[in-house]
Amino acid sequence: MTAYLVRRVLAVIPVMLVVVTVVFLLIHLIPGDPVAVILGPDATPSQIEATRAQLGLDRPLYEQLGAFYVRVLRGDLGRSYFLNRPVTQALWERAEPTSLLTLSALLVAIAIGVPSGLIAGAFPGSAWDRVLMLAALFGVCIPGFWLSLNFIYFFAVRLGWLPAGGYASVFVDPGAALRYMVLPAVSLGFNQSALIARIARSCMLEVLQQDYIRTARAKGLSQGVVIVGHAFRNAMVPVVTVIGITTAVLIGGAVVTEIVFNIPGLGRLIISAILRRDYPVVQGVVLVTAAAYVLVNLVVDVLYVLIDPRIRYD
Amino acid sequence: MVPRSVVALIAILLLASSVSDAQTPKRGGVLRIGNLGEPPSLDPHWGTQTITEVLANHVFEGLYALDEGYRPIPMLADGMPTVSKDGLTYGIKLRKGVKFHNGKEVTSDDVVASLLRWGKRSVYGKSLFAQVADFKATDTYAVEFKLKEKSAIVVISLAVPNNMGAIYPKEIAEKFPPDQRITEWVGTGPFKIAEWKPDQYIRMVRFEDYTRLPGKQSGYGGAKIAYVDELRWIPVPEAASRAAQLESGDLDVADDLVADGYDRLKANANVQPVIVKPYYWLVAVFNKKEGLMTNAKLRQAWQAALDVEPIMKTVAGGKPEFYRMDSSLAFQELPTWHTKIAGLPWNERNRDKARRLLKEAGYTGQPVRFMTTQEYKWMYDFALVSKQQLEEVGFKVDLQVMDWSTLGQRRVQPKEYDVFTTGMGNFFDPTHHIYLTPTWPGWTEDEQIATLMAQLARETELKKRQELWAQMTKLFYEKVPVARYGDLFGLRALRTTVKGFNDKTERPRFWGVWLDR
Repeated sequence: MTAYLVRRVLAVIPVMLVVVTVVFLLIHLIPGDPVAVILGPDATPSQIEATRAQLGLDRPLYEQLGAFYVRVLRGDLGRSYFLNRPVTQALWERAEPTSLLTLSALLVAIAIGVPSGLIAGAFPGSAWDRVLMLAALFGVCIPGFWLSLNFIYFFAVRLGWLPAGGYASVFVDPGAALRYMVLPAVSLGFNQSALIARIARSCMLEVLQQDYIRTARAKGLSQGVVIVGHAFRNAMVPVVTVIGITTAVLIGGAVVTEIVFNIPGLGRLIISAILRRDYPVVQGVVLVTAAAYVLVNLVVDVLYVLIDPRIRYD
Repeated sequence: MVPRSVVALIAILLLASSVSDAQTPKRGGVLRIGNLGEPPSLDPHWGTQTITEVLANHVFEGLYALDEGYRPIPMLADGMPTVSKDGLTYGIKLRKGVKFHNGKEVTSDDVVASLLRWGKRSVYGKSLFAQVADFKATDTYAVEFKLKEKSAIVVISLAVPNNMGAIYPKEIAEKFPPDQRITEWVGTGPFKIAEWKPDQYIRMVRFEDYTRLPGKQSGYGGAKIAYVDELRWIPVPEAASRAAQLESGDLDVADDLVADGYDRLKANANVQPVIVKPYYWLVAVFNKKEGLMTNAKLRQAWQAALDVEPIMKTVAGGKPEFYRMDSSLAFQELPTWHTKIAGLPWNERNRDKARRLLKEAGYTGQPVRFMTTQEYKWMYDFALVSKQQLEEVGFKVDLQVMDWSTLGQRRVQPKEYDVFTTGMGNFFDPTHHIYLTPTWPGWTEDEQIATLMAQLARETELKKRQELWAQMTKLFYEKVPVARYGDLFGLRALRTTVKGFNDKTERPRFWGVWLDR
């Protein structure tokens, strides 16, 4: 297991190298000039040239890429052109909102998705199955932004129960942080729960048709004991994979939710950075997101072993 | 038994007192303002972005400001300048006892250091200092400009709120070279910066030692009273979210909203929508350096083909409150420069004339590359309807939609395009109309326009300047350096608990505002 983990961690290095290089080239190849955005429409050609030189944008692309590799090795992701602060600082400031949103949305997704899927799978063809799977179908089909805007309209504007947007740090005011996080977490989590529910249902169905379940039932065990004690754990392995994928999607994909609910997280940062052509920030966010993906995959692999001791990596 | 008349009297008195309570300014509270993003800097010398202008004007002040008619009035200066008979020397006295946020008194050394830096960086500073032979302090509370030639733009340049001649303490102005953004925001304004948390908020708190002018608030100047304890500027990039947060009471003010939301906001008893006049006049800018549109007849054909009203109606979401039909190059809100000239070839809707001009230009259906963006929906909308109208007279329009950053990069490259969309804001002086200059994208290098611009920059008598400006307007419609569409208005909204807001200015200011809650 340890050897496996070391191998996986080492494999991260070439993955990150490829990601960083591709992102660097892509963002530099698309048209658009950060200096035009920073200086505004009235900048003179001499101002533009001076600022380009100041930011190092007048150097050939391969030199800029080389300098970027060297900086990354030193743990320096550069300085944001627009925010005028180190990228690492900008990332750190936005890591908390994104982490909190990801975790809360994941909790919502699991809390809705896993029980719904398991119940639907345990009682196929029942009214519960039909209602839950219809809800899951809605969850998959409804666009996240539409759901978010409707949540805002009903729960914030009409009923005034929750704030329409914004963010409070969980370390400063946990109560306010919770209030701000309810709507975004539920709207984002509901979308993701649909996928988890559908997978959990098919896994449950599959497991319930296995011979050992038939044996358990033949022994006269109750339906509850069969489902919870025998089927649940085996049905969970593919569900954990989906939860892992969902986590990764949430880390990089909470962009729309962050924008609609005005949460100052990584998703909002990367969108504004792309529009401003703030190259160092785009590279920094992609690097962090890619690292999070790799880490989540690793955690999922370790969880397999814990759920199903028959799985061995060595 | 109390007589009915007494009861009625008491009721009237109670009502009157509650009305008068609502009208009496109150100190205190946090005013939460939702704006569309994060400023790249709070250094007003450094950039021309609207968001920098709006925020920085609460913290910094210049020697002059603009009144409600957008005319210069003294701010840190003690009166208007004294001008020598030959018009080459401007002496400006400073108000005594004005303090910076760090407690230091403003003196002429601070003014000289600040304006020299501004003169090297700001669009307006550079054009003013191009005419300045010498600028120095003459005593602790007086400065003097010596000009190379007579100039009409000294005071107005010192009064413009955008890219303004903000006065910093000398030490700060000298510490940061002009190409570096100042990050020590010490000014003389009624609010001072307390905290900047990127993408979360900028907090400005009341400057208790603010030395305010006597009298009343006027436009961007006059008496500035900070009633609220704190201004909290919250970036909310999505317009629908800004409106929702205002409706739910999470914001007190929401700026830069879209006209589509006007009816809903109007129907909400807790919200007061404000139509922002002026905002932009819409414009198609022609590339006059290279390509098809260097041909004046093609530009005239474009102008002749346009039916402006349906275009403006589309852009304003069908709401007549949000657009105005006007041919003047200056907004009606700027009475000094607004023109009413009959018979100008604006909104001609003359398809035959357009077709004739296309023929005379020798146009054979080459595609006209027309750049626009969906980031500003109004730009995309007016480009789309224009394309339809232009193709009906024989133009072939290649509409190229891109993000604003790409458009910003391409529009400075003459090979890349023929026409692009943008909006023109409020220019406070004729010499500030950038689209009439040879350096701004589109490159207006016309000799007659340049001659008139030079005369406008030198002529100091208002009446003569107004005549020159009328001539310029006529020349504009003859040469068509850009195609002028109609005036588009903006939308902002406030909670009804926000009182004392001056809704007559183009950009919001929050001194004089109090909270009634």
